[in-house]
Amino acid sequence: MKKFKKFAAVLCTALIALTLTACGGGKSKDVTIDTAKLADELLTTVTSDELSKMSVDPSTVYLYQSDDVTSAIAYASSGATACEVAVIESKDASNAESMEKLLQDRVDSQKALYASYDAASAGKLDDAIIKSTGKYTVLCVCDDIDKANEILKKYGF
Amino acid sequence: MAKTKRKRKKRHDSLVLQLMILVAVVLVVFEGRLVVTMVTHRSSMKSATVTDSTAAASVQDGTLQTQTSAAATTSNGDTVLAGLPTVKASSAATASTPETQAETHATTSDPSSSAIVPKAATPVDDSYFKDAAFIGDSRMQGFQNASGITQGTFFTSVGMSLSTMQNEAVIRTAEGNITVAAALSGGKYGKVYIMLGANDLGEYDWDSFHDGFTSCLKRFQEIQPDAIFYICSVIYVEESKVEGGSYVNNTNVDKINSILLQICEEQGYHYLDLNEVLSNGYGSLIEGASSDGVHIYEKYCKMMLDYLKNHYVTADASDAKSEASTEAETESETETSASGAA
Repeated sequence: MKKFKKFAAVLCTALIALTLTACGGGKSKDVTIDTAKLADELLTTVTSDELSKMSVDPSTVYLYQSDDVTSAIAYASSGATACEVAVIESKDASNAESMEKLLQDRVDSQKALYASYDAASAGKLDDAIIKSTGKYTVLCVCDDIDKANEILKKYGF
Repeated sequence: MAKTKRKRKKRHDSLVLQLMILVAVVLVVFEGRLVVTMVTHRSSMKSATVTDSTAAASVQDGTLQTQTSAAATTSNGDTVLAGLPTVKASSAATASTPETQAETHATTSDPSSSAIVPKAATPVDDSYFKDAAFIGDSRMQGFQNASGITQGTFFTSVGMSLSTMQNEAVIRTAEGNITVAAALSGGKYGKVYIMLGANDLGEYDWDSFHDGFTSCLKRFQEIQPDAIFYICSVIYVEESKVEGGSYVNNTNVDKINSILLQICEEQGYHYLDLNEVLSNGYGSLIEGASSDGVHIYEKYCKMMLDYLKNHYVTADASDAKSEASTEAETESETETSASGAA
């Protein structure tokens, strides 16, 4: 009985520790993602357009500080639609919130421009996905939102 | 006595244990989902996790897959001139060579016009665009996104027309939206490329467009007095695919291009006839170059970049042209006043 109590106490302590650690998870999760692979997978959710890999520095489009970012990969339309995919790896997970805000600003700005120009694109922008996990933040304006969310879930978003 | 003490201790131990079990149960019930997520996430991440070197290799693979012939450097970009987005890349890109060149076809009303920039003997590389500002509508934005260009500063906006270029705060910066003129004031540029007019087809009477465009460009020239001004022709459309107004047609494209060329002749700007390479040879955009008849695919954006690299003027030539243009304007004004007096 005494042994059982000891075992139970250790088990409970372990469980408490484990669950409390889980509480601290969220956006500070220590994950590593192959950004190029993720971007390629998200590209498959765009069916109405052929996106091109941005050759210019994505910071000029998303207006983040280059110093805050380790790497970024972005695909954009040649103008026919508002579809775009961006996967950004910040240097620190604490940047996720401000990165999400910058991406939301980009979406809002595009929405305002497309509103009177292309209603279909404006609708896609309404459904834009902006998510973060760990140091990674993603923007996905696409045709198949369910598929995009599935992909992101697989990567831990 | 000792027995009572032992009993009390036993009860105390059991109470502590029960409390711990209770806390654990509560945590497991309410936070258990997170534990499950942690476990499942770890297993799913096994497939997604790679080392940095593998990631780098994958990026290279991605680049190869997209057949990007220009060096697509996406890092090391510096910002910022007064908060404006600035594109600077460390590596000079090689000239992109489209697989097939479209049939060359003169498309302007006066192909012999001295304002049209002729093909240079040797192409420049991306470094030529280091001090260039690119202003324009969604087509210019598409060029920024898809051409493979690695240098230059872009002031573009979807749906930009002459009116918005003149008056509206449509250029996004970290500090909020500003006008094109304000954006242009944020730095010193050696070249200014303007691609505008697609959103003005049918919007204005042509005289009004001529005067408005001239006045706007004069303002830009005041802001950047030392810059070479390149005016890009409006690229043809594939009419059968255009879903916008019926005014988006190639007859109007020809008309607006003849006005742009006229302005270049009058003001000493340099006209880039992009339809030399993007026309099907019969006054229309190359079939299949665009999904919506207006915005061209990556391959054709690369052809446009190739065209810009092969059609440029030197600063000296530009100065001489401006002087000639000013002299011509003065002579014309003198003649007008003379005839008025008579």
